[in-house]
Amino acid sequence: MKIKVDGKNVETNGKETILDVCNKLNIEIPTLCFHKNLFPEARCRVCLVEMDGKLVTSCSTKPRNGAKIITNNEHVLKARKRNLELMQPETLVCSKEDDNEICQIYKQVGMDDSRFDQIKEYHPELGDAIVRDENKCINCGRCVQVCGEIQNVYAIGFQGRAHNEHVAPFGNKKLSEVACIKCGQCIINCPVGAISERSHIKETEVALNDPKKHVVVQTAPAIRSSVGELFGMSAGSLVTGKMVAALRRCGFDKVFDVNLGADITIMEESSEFLRRVKEGGTLPMITTCCPGWILYMEHFHHELVPNMSTCKSPHEMLGMLTKTYYAKEAGINPKDIVVVSIMPCTAKKFESQRPEMKSGVDYVLTTRELGRLIKRKNIDFVSLQDEKFDEPLGISTGAGTIFGASGGVMEAALRTAYELATGKVVEKLEFDQIRGDKGIKEGSININGTEIKFAVASGGKNMEKLIKNKEKYHFIEMMACPGGCVNGGGQPIYSDPETVQQRMEALYEDDKNKPLRKSHENPIVQKLYKEFLGNPNSKKSHKLLHTYYTLRDRFEAKELKK
Amino acid sequence: MQINKKTNLKAWKRAQEIGPNKILKILDKKGLVGRGGAAFPTARKWGFAKDAKADRKFVICNADEGEPGTFKDKSIFQNNGETIVEGILIAAYTVGAKRCFVYLRGEYEYLRKKFEKQIKDVLKKAKTDITIEVVRGAGAYVCGEETAIIQSIMGYRGQSQYKPPYPPVEGLWGKPTVVNNVETLTCAAQALIFDDWDPNLRLFSVSGNVTKPGVYELPLGVSMKKLVEIVQPKNKLKAMSFGCFGGIMPIDYDMIINNETICKEDCSHGAYTIILIDEKQNIVDICLSIARFYTYESCGKCTPCREGTIRLLNLLKKVKKGQATKKDLKIMDEFARHIQETSLCGLGQTAGNHIITALEHFPKDFEVFRHEN
Repeated sequence: MKIKVDGKNVETNGKETILDVCNKLNIEIPTLCFHKNLFPEARCRVCLVEMDGKLVTSCSTKPRNGAKIITNNEHVLKARKRNLELMQPETLVCSKEDDNEICQIYKQVGMDDSRFDQIKEYHPELGDAIVRDENKCINCGRCVQVCGEIQNVYAIGFQGRAHNEHVAPFGNKKLSEVACIKCGQCIINCPVGAISERSHIKETEVALNDPKKHVVVQTAPAIRSSVGELFGMSAGSLVTGKMVAALRRCGFDKVFDVNLGADITIMEESSEFLRRVKEGGTLPMITTCCPGWILYMEHFHHELVPNMSTCKSPHEMLGMLTKTYYAKEAGINPKDIVVVSIMPCTAKKFESQRPEMKSGVDYVLTTRELGRLIKRKNIDFVSLQDEKFDEPLGISTGAGTIFGASGGVMEAALRTAYELATGKVVEKLEFDQIRGDKGIKEGSININGTEIKFAVASGGKNMEKLIKNKEKYHFIEMMACPGGCVNGGGQPIYSDPETVQQRMEALYEDDKNKPLRKSHENPIVQKLYKEFLGNPNSKKSHKLLHTYYTLRDRFEAKELKK
Repeated sequence: MQINKKTNLKAWKRAQEIGPNKILKILDKKGLVGRGGAAFPTARKWGFAKDAKADRKFVICNADEGEPGTFKDKSIFQNNGETIVEGILIAAYTVGAKRCFVYLRGEYEYLRKKFEKQIKDVLKKAKTDITIEVVRGAGAYVCGEETAIIQSIMGYRGQSQYKPPYPPVEGLWGKPTVVNNVETLTCAAQALIFDDWDPNLRLFSVSGNVTKPGVYELPLGVSMKKLVEIVQPKNKLKAMSFGCFGGIMPIDYDMIINNETICKEDCSHGAYTIILIDEKQNIVDICLSIARFYTYESCGKCTPCREGTIRLLNLLKKVKKGQATKKDLKIMDEFARHIQETSLCGLGQTAGNHIITALEHFPKDFEVFRHEN
């Protein structure tokens, strides 16, 4: 099929949209509601182009044979600008700190002030993990589509008609009142910042300024390959050392590594798994590192409670050890210790407030909040010299690092489970079947004559699919965000679709370069079990490192009575 | 009236005798086109659905008559319900559908009981396994649009969807679906058996400042003068409007009413809805009420319609208060055209017509408020 784009003859296969064709030609067309993984609803009407003299949305229109397409005449440019003008929220400030996607589009089209008055009057909602300000919303609907089509949660939809149409849970309820898994995928897909995390920066700063408090910070595996993006570094830059240095300059007393928490999780989880296999416990066993997945299960899949591992998530384990083991070693009253986790995740904010976690972690900051904190302290992140994590809870293995990518927990667990069960050295550390960006991955490994089948899913729809086929497997890893924590709801907002892959590769690279790559070989893990915890799954570790689950309503946030 | 002629199951019997291909041939020859507004040839629409391969197909009778000033379908329901049912059956038989829906306008609830009884009776007499369900709309104007109807019947928000795929290929639950207006389906049954059936006879809904408003069956090509004589205006007429989306024109007694002439006036022909406005009215008031209608009825999906219609209304309110400047009128015209050009569905694509035409033909009506203050 032959078409003409801006006077140039182009061959196209008839399946591509005008936007696809233009992207190939490096013609940049501003888009807002368009998302490569979602059905083009063509709501925002910003990606307009002229086809045979008529304005059409390039994201949803396939060109006719012989069509003449113009992407940049006055007619097109003015129409795009007018639609942006119509939805321009008054409250939106395009600051340097939060360079929202829409600000880039404003720059692209040369936006002026709107000629219209603001008509929206909504009360912002301050949820326990997610904050929404509908006055900023431009009704692009990406959050609604991601929540439903990708995450399978359907917590939010459109309410009201005409200019009263707005994004809200069914019946205009608050997000904190309905079944929401707090994964934050709506946040990283919002082009205007109308949805954001509940900030814990203020609370953290109060603790930092209190001389009586011993403030410990611990950083998740997935943020070391993404936090650099907030300072203009390319995606997938591994900035562990700079991050530790910046945190020290922020005033934290100790900087610990959640990778160690991950190593301990592996010890607990693989021991639990081997016990279940040996004693005929409920299989498949499902990992519980992801608080989004846990909420998903608690709301929608009560039947899976027996399948869930009882392990807490890595940062909760480490927080608990900080307040017990480390407090004792350092001679500090646990009540004076404040643990702050830096997480790629918004659901962790909710998790840290669960009563069953017994305040192992006090505050959770997202990767984005960390960036804001560092900028607020005027720290020149990029030129910082690398520094190392603090002892004793700062030594970790490559197995802990790969927790940040979908499939990583499973890979780390298998490395340890195989060696613990067989006493033999695992032949190949890389489990390639469960690496990469596929939504569902699977594989198998022979442990003592038993063929152990395992599978990995990330993203709500994929988790749902895997749950339907769960009987085939012995061991399942679930991550609520597509791609795992590297694409978490607390991560820097990106527009380049390659970003997630680059963050993931950086973690695997980090693992490859580590001298220790198996959790059970971590000397501090061995020391912890020897001196403090006893054996994995011991009574003490159960008390500190394991948890239980709360059944919740299918539609509402409320807990069900037992 | 031709439309009230009952077919008494003869059309259904004939349809079964001659088979789908012949039905399409006859409807094509008789020149039946959609009566909802778009005037798409019915035989072609049914042909697409018939040729589409699928395990299930559906027929929807669009009875969501929500266009202001349009009430022709109501009169068919009141006078010839059985023939509507027969038309639906013939459509279903032709395309191979087993399940049919009648999407009834929310406000027409009072017609439902009688019609459901008629469905029951006709289905019984017709001895068929085709089923017809009446689905009541919730009062949204946009649900008169075929893709929005489909969304609404499936239980989703009644919002227009991007086309293609068109419903005859991919409609209800992703299956081929024929959506036809009440009048179209009734005509289909009649066209099949009445040799003297005339495609040029159309239903006109006439209202406004007239003493005899109502539904009239008139041939296409009738002059405005003749029509005005029939409905008897109260005062000297000033303007005419072909439904809300048709815009507001100065009255033209010499106008011959048919597809071409109405389209030449740069407005959609709609379903032959004619509102006559006399000299006592100010056009700004008319625009205000039309703008209120659009502002309320926009579904909210796409930006220009959702955000634009309320802005047009606010500007009109400013005009009425005598506060509008020349610049405001310019913005009004600019955005009325913009909404039309960039909206997703037919509602938005016509939502600015009344303002564009009013500003063009009745500029003095916009000035008068400023002089008053």
